[in-house]
Amino acid sequence: MKTKSDFPNLNERKPDGVKDDGTPYRVLVVDDSVFVTKQITQILASEGFEVVATAADGEEALNTYKDKYPNIDLVTMDITMPKMDGVTCLEKIMEFDKNAKVVMISALGKQELVKRSLLLGAKNYIVKPLDRKKVLERVVTSLE
Amino acid sequence: MRVEYINPFVEAAYNILREVLSEEVKRGILYLKSSTNPVKGVAAIVGLAGEVEGRVLFDMTKSTALKIASKMNDEDLLDWDDLARATITELANLITAQAVTKLHDLGFRFDLTPPALITGENMEMYDDYKDETETLIVPMETSFGPVEINVAIRERNRN
Repeated sequence: MKTKSDFPNLNERKPDGVKDDGTPYRVLVVDDSVFVTKQITQILASEGFEVVATAADGEEALNTYKDKYPNIDLVTMDITMPKMDGVTCLEKIMEFDKNAKVVMISALGKQELVKRSLLLGAKNYIVKPLDRKKVLERVVTSLE
Repeated sequence: MRVEYINPFVEAAYNILREVLSEEVKRGILYLKSSTNPVKGVAAIVGLAGEVEGRVLFDMTKSTALKIASKMNDEDLLDWDDLARATITELANLITAQAVTKLHDLGFRFDLTPPALITGENMEMYDDYKDETETLIVPMETSFGPVEINVAIRERNRN
Protein backbone atom coordinates (compact mmCIF):
# COMPACT_ATOMS: atom_id res chain seq x y z
CA MET A 1 0.00 0.00 0.00
CA LYS A 2 1.27 3.42 -0.86
CA THR A 3 1.79 5.83 2.02
CA LYS A 4 1.41 9.61 2.13
CA SER A 5 5.15 10.08 1.59
CA ASP A 6 4.97 8.32 -1.79
CA PHE A 7 3.02 11.28 -3.20
CA PRO A 8 4.49 14.75 -3.69
CA ASN A 9 2.75 17.32 -1.53
CA LEU A 10 1.47 19.87 -4.03
CA ASN A 11 0.49 22.27 -1.25
CA GLU A 12 3.91 22.37 0.33
CA ARG A 13 5.16 25.96 0.23
CA LYS A 14 8.82 26.91 0.03
CA PRO A 15 9.56 29.31 2.92
CA ASP A 16 10.23 32.89 1.76
CA GLY A 17 13.68 32.85 3.30
CA VAL A 18 14.91 29.92 1.20
CA LYS A 19 16.41 30.34 -2.28
CA ASP A 20 15.59 28.09 -5.23
CA ASP A 21 18.75 26.07 -4.55
CA GLY A 22 17.50 25.27 -1.05
CA THR A 23 19.97 27.51 0.81
CA PRO A 24 18.73 30.34 3.05
CA TYR A 25 19.01 34.06 2.28
CA ARG A 26 21.73 35.50 4.56
CA VAL A 27 20.82 38.61 6.52
CA LEU A 28 22.76 41.20 8.51
CA VAL A 29 20.51 42.77 11.17
CA VAL A 30 21.60 46.25 12.31
CA ASP A 31 19.98 47.79 15.39
CA ASP A 32 21.27 49.14 18.71
CA SER A 33 18.39 47.57 20.66
CA VAL A 34 18.73 43.92 21.71
CA PHE A 35 14.94 43.79 21.83
CA VAL A 36 14.56 44.84 18.18
CA THR A 37 17.42 42.60 17.01
CA LYS A 38 15.75 39.65 18.71
CA GLN A 39 12.35 40.55 17.24
CA ILE A 40 13.67 40.85 13.65
CA THR A 41 15.75 37.67 13.98
CA GLN A 42 12.71 35.70 15.19
CA ILE A 43 10.51 36.99 12.36
CA LEU A 44 13.11 36.18 9.69
CA ALA A 45 14.04 32.78 11.16
CA SER A 46 10.36 31.77 11.12
CA GLU A 47 10.50 31.92 7.30
CA GLY A 48 13.87 30.20 6.92
CA PHE A 49 16.13 33.28 6.59
CA GLU A 50 19.54 32.97 8.24
CA VAL A 51 20.72 35.92 10.33
CA VAL A 52 24.47 35.56 9.79
CA ALA A 53 25.47 38.61 11.85
CA THR A 54 24.11 41.48 13.90
CA ALA A 55 25.58 44.95 14.46
CA ALA A 56 24.69 47.58 17.08
CA ASP A 57 25.87 50.69 15.20
CA GLY A 58 26.62 51.90 11.68
CA GLU A 59 30.38 51.51 11.95
CA GLU A 60 30.15 47.88 13.06
CA ALA A 61 27.58 47.22 10.33
CA LEU A 62 29.78 48.66 7.57
CA ASN A 63 32.81 46.65 8.73
CA THR A 64 30.73 43.47 9.01
CA TYR A 65 29.27 43.98 5.53
CA LYS A 66 32.74 44.44 4.02
CA ASP A 67 34.17 41.45 5.94
CA LYS A 68 31.41 39.12 4.84
CA TYR A 69 31.03 40.43 1.28
CA PRO A 70 29.64 38.88 -0.95
CA ASN A 71 27.99 36.55 1.54
CA ILE A 72 25.20 38.84 2.72
CA ASP A 73 21.99 38.90 0.67
CA LEU A 74 20.12 41.53 2.68
CA VAL A 75 20.66 44.12 5.41
CA THR A 76 17.96 45.42 7.78
CA MET A 77 19.10 48.85 8.99
CA ASP A 78 17.96 50.92 11.98
CA ILE A 79 18.39 54.70 11.60
CA THR A 80 19.04 56.25 15.00
CA MET A 81 22.20 54.56 16.28
CA PRO A 82 25.41 55.60 18.05
CA LYS A 83 28.76 56.17 16.24
CA MET A 84 27.29 56.11 12.71
CA ASP A 85 23.58 56.51 11.93
CA GLY A 86 21.75 54.16 9.58
CA VAL A 87 21.39 56.61 6.68
CA THR A 88 25.15 57.31 6.60
CA CYS A 89 25.82 53.58 6.85
CA LEU A 90 23.40 52.92 3.97
CA GLU A 91 25.25 55.50 1.86
CA LYS A 92 28.62 53.89 2.61
CA ILE A 93 27.38 50.37 1.95
CA MET A 94 25.95 51.50 -1.40
CA GLU A 95 29.28 53.14 -2.30
CA PHE A 96 31.03 49.83 -1.54
CA ASP A 97 28.45 47.60 -3.26
CA LYS A 98 25.94 49.27 -5.60
CA ASN A 99 23.90 46.04 -5.69
CA ALA A 100 23.46 45.85 -1.91
CA LYS A 101 19.91 45.20 -0.73
CA VAL A 102 19.15 47.31 2.32
CA VAL A 103 15.79 47.65 4.07
CA MET A 104 15.50 50.55 6.50
CA ILE A 105 13.61 49.86 9.74
CA SER A 106 12.84 52.81 11.98
CA ALA A 107 10.29 54.17 14.41
CA LEU A 108 10.65 57.49 12.58
CA GLY A 109 8.38 57.76 9.55
CA LYS A 110 9.29 61.31 8.49
CA GLN A 111 8.75 61.73 4.76
CA GLU A 112 12.11 63.41 4.16
CA LEU A 113 13.89 60.48 5.85
CA VAL A 114 12.01 57.90 3.81
CA LYS A 115 12.68 59.82 0.57
CA ARG A 116 16.37 60.28 1.35
CA SER A 117 16.83 56.58 2.18
CA LEU A 118 15.14 55.47 -1.04
CA LEU A 119 17.17 57.98 -3.09
CA LEU A 120 20.36 56.60 -1.56
CA GLY A 121 19.42 53.11 -2.70
CA ALA A 122 17.42 51.49 0.10
CA LYS A 123 15.01 48.91 -1.32
CA ASN A 124 12.31 49.52 1.23
CA TYR A 125 11.40 51.35 4.43
CA ILE A 126 9.51 49.81 7.35
CA VAL A 127 8.06 51.98 10.12
CA LYS A 128 7.97 50.33 13.55
CA PRO A 129 6.25 48.83 15.54
CA LEU A 130 7.15 45.66 13.65
CA ASP A 131 4.51 43.35 12.40
CA ARG A 132 5.56 39.91 11.13
CA LYS A 133 3.52 40.10 7.92
CA LYS A 134 4.69 43.62 7.06
CA VAL A 135 8.36 42.76 7.65
CA LEU A 136 8.26 39.58 5.55
CA GLU A 137 6.37 41.25 2.68
CA ARG A 138 8.87 44.13 2.44
CA VAL A 139 11.90 41.87 2.79
CA VAL A 140 10.69 39.50 0.10
CA THR A 141 9.90 42.41 -2.26
CA SER A 142 13.39 43.80 -1.67
CA LEU A 143 15.01 40.53 -2.72
CA GLU A 144 13.17 40.35 -6.04
CA MET B 1 1.99 74.34 26.38
CA ARG B 2 0.49 74.62 22.91
CA VAL B 3 -2.18 72.08 22.10
CA GLU B 4 -0.39 71.17 18.82
CA TYR B 5 2.40 69.62 20.86
CA ILE B 6 0.11 67.63 23.11
CA ASN B 7 -2.18 65.71 20.80
CA PRO B 8 0.53 63.83 18.86
CA PHE B 9 1.90 62.44 22.14
CA VAL B 10 -1.53 61.44 23.42
CA GLU B 11 -2.42 59.75 20.11
CA ALA B 12 0.95 58.04 19.73
CA ALA B 13 0.93 56.69 23.31
CA TYR B 14 -2.58 55.34 22.84
CA ASN B 15 -1.89 53.79 19.40
CA ILE B 16 1.46 52.23 20.24
CA LEU B 17 0.40 50.80 23.62
CA ARG B 18 -2.71 49.30 22.04
CA GLU B 19 -0.65 47.77 19.24
CA VAL B 20 2.25 46.32 21.24
CA LEU B 21 0.06 45.08 24.12
CA SER B 22 -2.68 43.76 21.78
CA GLU B 23 -5.39 45.09 24.09
CA GLU B 24 -7.64 48.07 24.63
CA VAL B 25 -5.94 50.83 26.57
CA LYS B 26 -7.89 53.39 28.58
CA ARG B 27 -6.91 57.02 28.32
CA GLY B 28 -7.14 58.84 31.65
CA ILE B 29 -7.88 62.54 32.03
CA LEU B 30 -4.93 64.73 31.05
CA TYR B 31 -3.72 67.19 33.62
CA LEU B 32 -1.07 69.88 33.93
CA LYS B 33 1.42 70.07 36.72
CA SER B 34 3.97 72.72 37.53
CA SER B 35 5.62 71.25 40.64
CA THR B 36 8.04 68.32 40.91
CA ASN B 37 6.77 64.95 39.76
CA PRO B 38 7.26 61.71 41.66
CA VAL B 39 8.64 58.85 39.53
CA LYS B 40 7.12 55.43 40.06
CA GLY B 41 10.24 53.25 39.71
CA VAL B 42 11.13 52.95 36.03
CA ALA B 43 11.42 56.06 33.88
CA ALA B 44 12.46 56.27 30.24
CA ILE B 45 13.42 59.79 29.19
CA VAL B 46 13.66 61.11 25.63
CA GLY B 47 14.99 64.60 24.98
CA LEU B 48 13.80 66.91 22.19
CA ALA B 49 15.99 69.62 20.71
CA GLY B 50 15.35 72.01 17.82
CA GLU B 51 12.59 74.54 17.19
CA VAL B 52 10.95 73.11 20.29
CA GLU B 53 12.82 71.64 23.21
CA GLY B 54 12.09 69.66 26.32
CA ARG B 55 11.67 66.09 27.33
CA VAL B 56 9.16 63.26 27.48
CA LEU B 57 9.22 60.82 30.37
CA PHE B 58 7.52 57.42 30.42
CA ASP B 59 6.85 56.39 33.98
CA MET B 60 5.68 53.08 35.46
CA THR B 61 6.40 50.71 38.34
CA LYS B 62 9.06 48.04 37.85
CA SER B 63 6.36 45.36 38.12
CA THR B 64 4.36 46.99 35.29
CA ALA B 65 7.54 47.42 33.23
CA LEU B 66 8.40 43.72 33.58
CA LYS B 67 4.87 42.66 32.64
CA ILE B 68 4.86 44.94 29.58
CA ALA B 69 8.34 43.76 28.54
CA SER B 70 7.18 40.13 28.91
CA LYS B 71 4.15 40.77 26.72
CA MET B 72 6.22 42.55 24.05
CA ASN B 73 8.73 39.66 24.00
CA ASP B 74 6.05 36.99 24.11
CA GLU B 75 7.88 35.29 26.98
CA ASP B 76 7.95 35.63 30.77
CA LEU B 77 10.77 37.92 31.79
CA LEU B 78 11.38 37.40 35.49
CA ASP B 79 14.40 39.67 35.96
CA TRP B 80 15.00 43.31 35.21
CA ASP B 81 17.79 42.42 32.79
CA ASP B 82 19.22 43.91 29.58
CA LEU B 83 16.39 42.55 27.44
CA ALA B 84 13.70 43.97 29.75
CA ARG B 85 15.48 47.34 29.81
CA ALA B 86 15.90 47.37 26.02
CA THR B 87 12.21 46.55 25.58
CA ILE B 88 10.96 49.44 27.73
CA THR B 89 13.47 51.76 26.06
CA GLU B 90 12.11 50.70 22.68
CA LEU B 91 8.53 51.33 23.86
CA ALA B 92 9.53 54.91 24.75
CA ASN B 93 11.28 55.22 21.42
CA LEU B 94 8.25 53.99 19.46
CA ILE B 95 5.83 56.41 21.13
CA THR B 96 8.12 59.43 20.86
CA ALA B 97 9.09 58.69 17.26
CA GLN B 98 5.46 58.41 16.16
CA ALA B 99 4.62 61.70 17.90
CA VAL B 100 7.64 63.43 16.39
CA THR B 101 6.71 62.17 12.91
CA LYS B 102 3.29 63.80 13.35
CA LEU B 103 4.84 67.03 14.64
CA HIS B 104 7.21 67.09 11.66
CA ASP B 105 4.20 66.77 9.36
CA LEU B 106 2.79 69.85 11.12
CA GLY B 107 5.98 71.76 10.34
CA PHE B 108 7.89 71.58 13.62
CA ARG B 109 11.57 70.75 13.22
CA PHE B 110 13.56 69.07 15.98
CA ASP B 111 15.54 65.95 16.81
CA LEU B 112 15.31 63.30 19.49
CA THR B 113 17.94 62.03 21.86
CA PRO B 114 18.20 58.26 22.33
CA PRO B 115 16.03 57.18 25.30
CA ALA B 116 17.73 56.92 28.69
CA LEU B 117 16.33 54.58 31.32
CA ILE B 118 16.37 55.42 35.03
CA THR B 119 15.31 53.00 37.75
CA GLY B 120 15.11 53.47 41.51
CA GLU B 121 12.86 54.18 44.48
CA ASN B 122 11.60 57.52 45.78
CA MET B 123 12.74 59.53 42.75
CA GLU B 124 11.43 62.92 41.68
CA MET B 125 11.57 64.71 38.33
CA TYR B 126 12.19 68.44 38.40
CA ASP B 127 12.27 70.73 35.34
CA ASP B 128 13.88 74.10 35.80
CA TYR B 129 11.68 75.78 33.23
CA LYS B 130 10.08 78.11 35.83
CA ASP B 131 6.83 79.51 34.49
CA GLU B 132 7.61 78.88 30.83
CA THR B 133 6.56 75.28 30.77
CA GLU B 134 4.08 73.17 32.61
CA THR B 135 4.29 69.43 32.63
CA LEU B 136 1.45 67.61 30.98
CA ILE B 137 0.61 64.18 32.38
CA VAL B 138 -1.02 61.71 29.99
CA PRO B 139 -2.25 58.77 32.09
CA MET B 140 -2.81 55.43 30.33
CA GLU B 141 -4.48 52.45 32.01
CA THR B 142 -3.39 49.01 30.81
CA SER B 143 -4.15 45.56 32.26
CA PHE B 144 -0.45 45.45 33.23
CA GLY B 145 -0.74 48.61 35.35
CA PRO B 146 -0.74 52.36 34.76
CA VAL B 147 1.75 54.07 32.45
CA GLU B 148 2.12 57.83 32.69
CA ILE B 149 3.52 59.88 29.84
CA ASN B 150 4.92 63.07 31.25
CA VAL B 151 5.55 65.78 28.62
CA ALA B 152 7.39 69.08 29.15
CA ILE B 153 8.01 70.98 25.91
CA ARG B 154 8.51 74.65 25.10
CA GLU B 155 9.28 76.66 22.00
CA ARG B 156 12.93 77.53 21.78
CA ASN B 157 13.83 81.04 22.70
CA ARG B 158 15.20 82.55 19.49
CA ASN B 159 16.93 85.51 21.23
